[in-house]
Amino acid sequence: MIDVLTPLALAETVDLLTSPSDITGVLIEGLAKGSLYLMIAVGLTLIFGLMDVINFAHGAFTMYGAYIAGVAVLALGVGSMGFVGALGTFFIIMIAVFVLLAVLGVIFEVTLIRKLYEYPPIFMILLTFGITITMEELMRMIVEFRDINSGQWDIGWDAPRQSSLPSELGGTTEIGFVNFTGLQLMQISMGVAVLAGIWAFLNKTRYGLFVRAGVEDEEMARALGIDINRTFTAVFAVGSGLAGMAGVMLMWDPLWDVNVPLALAVLLPAFVIVIVGGLGSFKGTVVASFLVGLIDALGTWAFQTGVIQFTDIDQLMIFAILVVMLILRPRGLFGVKGQGDHG
Amino acid sequence: MTFLELEGVNTYYGESHILQGVDLHVDEGEVVALLGRNGVGKTTTIRSIMQLTPPSEGTIRFQGEELVGKDTYEVADAGIGWIPEERRMFGRLSVEENLRASVPDTSKMDESLEFAYDTFPILRERTDQRAGDLSGGQQQMLAIARGLIGQNDLLLVDEPSEGLAPQIVANVGEALLEASDSVSILLVEQKLGLALDLADRYYVMDHGEIIDQGDTAGVTAEDEQLRRYLSA
Amino acid sequence: MSAETQQVDSGRFPSWIGQYLRDHLLLAVIVVLFAVYPFLYDFLTGQFGLTAQMILPRTRTMLTILALGLFAMSFDFISGYTGYLSFGHAAFFGIGAYLVLLGHNGQLPVVPAETSFMLLLLIGALIAVVAAFLIGLISFRLSGVYFAMITLGIAEMMYVASNNWAFLTPGESDPTEGVAAGSPSEIGFFEPALGVPFVESLQVEIGPFGDEEIFGIAVGDPQIVSYLMIGAVVLLCYLTMKRIIHSPFGRVMIAIRENEERAKAIGYNVFYYKMGAFMISAFFGAVAGALFVGYEGAIDPENSFFFLVTGFALVAAIIGGLGTLAGPFFGYIFLEGVEEFLSREGGGGGLQPFLEQNLPGAILDTDILGLTINEALSAFMTGHGDFYAGIIFIIFVLYVPIGMLGTLRNRYGTDSLAKYVSAGVEKRLSSSDGETPATGDD
Repeated sequence: MIDVLTPLALAETVDLLTSPSDITGVLIEGLAKGSLYLMIAVGLTLIFGLMDVINFAHGAFTMYGAYIAGVAVLALGVGSMGFVGALGTFFIIMIAVFVLLAVLGVIFEVTLIRKLYEYPPIFMILLTFGITITMEELMRMIVEFRDINSGQWDIGWDAPRQSSLPSELGGTTEIGFVNFTGLQLMQISMGVAVLAGIWAFLNKTRYGLFVRAGVEDEEMARALGIDINRTFTAVFAVGSGLAGMAGVMLMWDPLWDVNVPLALAVLLPAFVIVIVGGLGSFKGTVVASFLVGLIDALGTWAFQTGVIQFTDIDQLMIFAILVVMLILRPRGLFGVKGQGDHG
Repeated sequence: MTFLELEGVNTYYGESHILQGVDLHVDEGEVVALLGRNGVGKTTTIRSIMQLTPPSEGTIRFQGEELVGKDTYEVADAGIGWIPEERRMFGRLSVEENLRASVPDTSKMDESLEFAYDTFPILRERTDQRAGDLSGGQQQMLAIARGLIGQNDLLLVDEPSEGLAPQIVANVGEALLEASDSVSILLVEQKLGLALDLADRYYVMDHGEIIDQGDTAGVTAEDEQLRRYLSA
Repeated sequence: MSAETQQVDSGRFPSWIGQYLRDHLLLAVIVVLFAVYPFLYDFLTGQFGLTAQMILPRTRTMLTILALGLFAMSFDFISGYTGYLSFGHAAFFGIGAYLVLLGHNGQLPVVPAETSFMLLLLIGALIAVVAAFLIGLISFRLSGVYFAMITLGIAEMMYVASNNWAFLTPGESDPTEGVAAGSPSEIGFFEPALGVPFVESLQVEIGPFGDEEIFGIAVGDPQIVSYLMIGAVVLLCYLTMKRIIHSPFGRVMIAIRENEERAKAIGYNVFYYKMGAFMISAFFGAVAGALFVGYEGAIDPENSFFFLVTGFALVAAIIGGLGTLAGPFFGYIFLEGVEEFLSREGGGGGLQPFLEQNLPGAILDTDILGLTINEALSAFMTGHGDFYAGIIFIIFVLYVPIGMLGTLRNRYGTDSLAKYVSAGVEKRLSSSDGETPATGDD
């Protein structure tokens, strides 16, 4: 399947690199991918920043979001709705998934996670890892039992996308030398909206103030009369809801497979982003999301144009960013000393 | 009327038995100083009252209400403010955000902020600055301001003069004196002179126990007995 | 030392003799039990049929457990004893496994094709040690979550590479499907043998088509021969790791876990000890990988370099007891046991075949909410061992955080390392509950 082909001549590579439509194409794809990564990683950052919880179940929430959205678009017949109807229904599904997974997050936080705040952080990794194994197996049972995607849990389920993605989003628009798809535009707008929403939540609301105070000094926040436990629950709910929302977005993206392994497929890059940005730093996560998005897009482009003969070059590069970053700046771009050092 | 009352409080920190049966009380409107050498349990006493380091035995009543077993935020809601030793600013939040986070009742936000700025005009000038960028003295003012606008009836003040220049210590002392008109204060302080100036009564702690107490009236910083307690 | 131990020991012997005997007697008994297990299994299943098959793991499963259990122990060696969570430990397993196969297939520079298995196993382990040294150079500048993540990142890069690197599978085959021994057709059969390197007469061939006797003693079944030989290597590895942990070197590892700053202050060069421990654990991790392919004859990225390989070692370590060395091994038996109990493989026994044979059809076909019991079993139990293993794991994390062996050792306390862990956890628990903390009883 993968042969060692002769790499393109250097001159051709330079040609490609200087082609304006390729450059803008990579940039737009990078922004779109960065937006998706932001949606996936931002919940992880909020949860870590406030509670020091490395949430291994985060990817499972995304995977659940994708499946629920897939079932919903098929059940509601989004495919036959026309562009505006399809888009509207899609957003309603997204909100519903947010609420559903936020509730699931609250249940986990209150019944399981809360019990371990006093333990060393490794126990939280263990607990959420256990949750993710259990959630993945549960989804496998459901997929096999309900015969979703002919019962194949490890192969991408693309029926929902193929039946419901409006052609307006799938098609390419060309303005001058700039090419982009409607889906990319939508992903970028969603990324910007999530960014703005979280920023406003953190900086403009009283709850956001409590969250930021709690991130810095949980004990002092308690002593000022802030019910940090309730703040924890709220943030866990928001983080879980966002993870689910990201899953809804992925359902329409042909580059992602809706399947059970999706949980890990999104979790690992999300970890990379959170670490590269600096654990617990919202700003860092935003910057790192777009950085990883761009490099991912660059890798994909390099493979597609034949500069590099390596299918998963994008993934390899994502982990390479992690390693290089941790060598150069052990606490990430905007990390604070002390966060996550004790394991 | 007894306002705050500790009876037989025992607190462990890990495996060390820090407080070994502490009894003390603060009456309404009083300023009470808690004296003692380093490491005898003064800060732990305050942390035990706040339920930050919950005691394993004993009772702590505030306005007749038992505090042991409550969450820290409930203790704060009951009307106790903590002005900790290291000031504990939210360093990346602005001065105003630090103050806002301390006001429990949002409907009184504006007047609370006004009050804080009137008491410490320097804070008004720095309102948008990050609290972490303030000088030590300004941070102490902010910490006291946070305690004052938290609608508290009792302030637990831990080493307010620590690490401050003498002139600033005087300012802090004045601010606390002014505050004591409206709230009761339990004060932990190493500077004997400052403590005796502010306090109506004092307790002396050693090895997790109260070993002496008395009125500050007529007691000076040169008092032989007190100096012996406090010297290493 | 606990009160019970003192009572037992205050008899005829000085306490350390009794302690020594008791420790090693237990070990001997366990080793003998493991050694006779395949025969016992055959006997019991002959005697009790499906009932025994349902409960007991097959010898085939035990073979897998040996290799993966060793891997879990090597994971515990670094993670449980120094406190540095080696989240990319699968890298070493993968190196050990791939190296044996690539070496056999003649794809390594210098190493000729069909080099003996023992030699390849050692080469792989040494390469893993070098890899650990390089990874450690980068990673030990970090601690806590960052250390876990950088090791994970490096292992994931290897995973991605093993999925894509055409070099691994010359010809047309897809690297994601893995490497098999003897894959270019001109390469001879894979005949892995365990024993003394270079001495033909002191080696026994393992694998499904290996020897049927061990040094002249007829065993009959190559699977049992493999089990016994691999088991002997695992035992040797275990004893070596245990010896290291009980040496002064091991004491420093534990000191690092308990308080790295203090260990540094006392004057230990902690970097040297962490690096040493990491390299040792990599060595045994790679041996585990080699033993795994020694029987399987093939490996794919999913079962070697992938994150979940480390993940399940971690699960096994927690269930068995982190920082107990042997615990993770038993944890793996438990995990695989649950898996097989709920497996769907016809010959393997497990719950469903047992019920199918022993319950009247009428009960199995009883309709509950539109689903017969048999259908519900196949939908929600059979083949979904991981689901129940996950729930059990969560329960362990919440209620038995020191694991099975940790709890046992705590209760019947020999000089147990789990005690330090549990004392730490209990201290945290009691201080948050406001109860009197448990004072260290050692």
